[in-house]
Amino acid sequence: MAIKLSKEIKELFEDKDTLKVLATTDKNGTPHVVFKNSFHINEEGQLVYLEIIETSETNRNLVSSIWFNRKVAVNVFRNDKKSYQIKGKPIKALISGRIFEKYYKEVRSKFEDLDLSTVWIIEPEEVKEETFNIRIEKEAKEHPLLIHLDRLVKS
Amino acid sequence: MTVIIEKDWREKELSLKEVIKKYPEVSPFVIIKTDVQRRGVKYTQKSIDKVNPEIHQVEYRGFSIEKQDSSPMSLILRDGTSILTGEMKSKRDPYIVDVVDGKTVLVDNGEVIEEVDYWEKPDYYDKVTSSGKPMWQIAPSRPQRIDINPNQYCHFWDKPGDGCKYCAIAATYSNNKDEKPKILDVKDIAETVTQALKQPGRYESIFLTGGSILSGKEVLDDEVDLYIEVLQEIGKNFKTKRFPSQLIGTAYNKSQLKRLYENTGLTTYTADIEVLDEEKFNWICPGKARVVGYKEWKQRLYDAVEIFGRGNVNTGIVAGVELATPYGFKSEDEALKAVLKEAEDLAKNGVSAVACVWGVAPGTIFYNQKNPSLEYYIRLSIGLDNLRRKYGLNIDMDNYRRCGNHPDTDLSRI
Repeated sequence: MAIKLSKEIKELFEDKDTLKVLATTDKNGTPHVVFKNSFHINEEGQLVYLEIIETSETNRNLVSSIWFNRKVAVNVFRNDKKSYQIKGKPIKALISGRIFEKYYKEVRSKFEDLDLSTVWIIEPEEVKEETFNIRIEKEAKEHPLLIHLDRLVKS
Repeated sequence: MTVIIEKDWREKELSLKEVIKKYPEVSPFVIIKTDVQRRGVKYTQKSIDKVNPEIHQVEYRGFSIEKQDSSPMSLILRDGTSILTGEMKSKRDPYIVDVVDGKTVLVDNGEVIEEVDYWEKPDYYDKVTSSGKPMWQIAPSRPQRIDINPNQYCHFWDKPGDGCKYCAIAATYSNNKDEKPKILDVKDIAETVTQALKQPGRYESIFLTGGSILSGKEVLDDEVDLYIEVLQEIGKNFKTKRFPSQLIGTAYNKSQLKRLYENTGLTTYTADIEVLDEEKFNWICPGKARVVGYKEWKQRLYDAVEIFGRGNVNTGIVAGVELATPYGFKSEDEALKAVLKEAEDLAKNGVSAVACVWGVAPGTIFYNQKNPSLEYYIRLSIGLDNLRRKYGLNIDMDNYRRCGNHPDTDLSRI
């Protein structure tokens, strides 16, 4: 089920200092992880990823995901350590048409030697904050028993 | 030519859902595409109302299709898979293209199957050449390919009984001959291609095909000469000698193939053998059998591999005609075994066999026949894809974003 991403996450995607990582799996479940800074969020709140290389492992895995209804994961991480993980499903592969051509022109204007294979539209279904401090606080609150005893010994 | 839908056809074969369940390793999108191409579509008024003639492609003039009504030219699925289909006379119910909750969808038996989009119209489509011809009549378009049919007629039909029995080229020409030239003007083609290439990101390939021309000093020389002339004009647009392109021609002899390769920028070559069995080929394609012959056709494909290179030569089959009555195979199992055996022979020699779904067309000798089951087509697609993987044959030349008419090559995406 599609979810709406918060304003904070959208801003994180727009920040040029944010690292964006895409994790996909092949048909056997083997993971493949890559940095993909072309990720952004469109007006419909969907993730947009521009695939340059037609036969890349990522592109093949995305095709496999849309064919067999499998999720992919995206993690965004900024230098202030703010981080979110979004899981979702590729719902559209644009390989022609006005939207494709708009992105094609953008890619070509930035990188003269590059082509564009596919504009992937990924619908977010789950979001989780992965900022380290937030995760630590949450873990301590929800799982207080999960701690090494030496950390509790009087000094 | 009235074709009556068989009332009990659904009871005689596996349904779309059953085939998807039985073949979990095959893309459901490819299975849907195959079935839609097999059965055709019917557009509801609501779906036609969603066509925007400023955006969507409705007109098409090819050697076997002439279309000027307001329905969309064809469909594209969410994963980028093209479906080449339209309203046709089938003995099975067509899929319904309708609008549900604002989305354009395929509907079968009252159930929404999948969302679809219409092909978008290229920028050159409404322009005219300097001779005043609408450019869509010179080069119809697929989502990522410019199509050119320099010869709109096939001379196998000149001799009674020689035309391929599934082919609509003669009927299409005959129905439109008052406004359709047999041979396109090369200057019109050159101007249209130059205009088409001004649209960034639209095209990945230029495609030429047309009917056979048997005349010349040697048989087919005139056909080769026509393609050379057209390709040379097109080539003037590019900074490299070779440009991504495909020609589906008749099977040329070695000297003709060399002439074609050396004098143009053509990168890939196809000669459609149509039927992968010599006996059925002789019955279904009598002109090709008489002029070239089955074994010689295969040999010419192998010769083409020597010239164009491995992975740059293939052959198309009209999948399903091998089961036509009364002289076709009697069972789908028997047909599949024979077809894949021949496809393997081709693959061993560097030639891919790619399948089109036989859409039974009005105006053809086979107009009243019935194409095979969906499961047959899926088993065939798996078989052809497996052969390419076994023999390391790249199919970029005819992949999902070029022709888009081969379910088996769609499978190479993963």
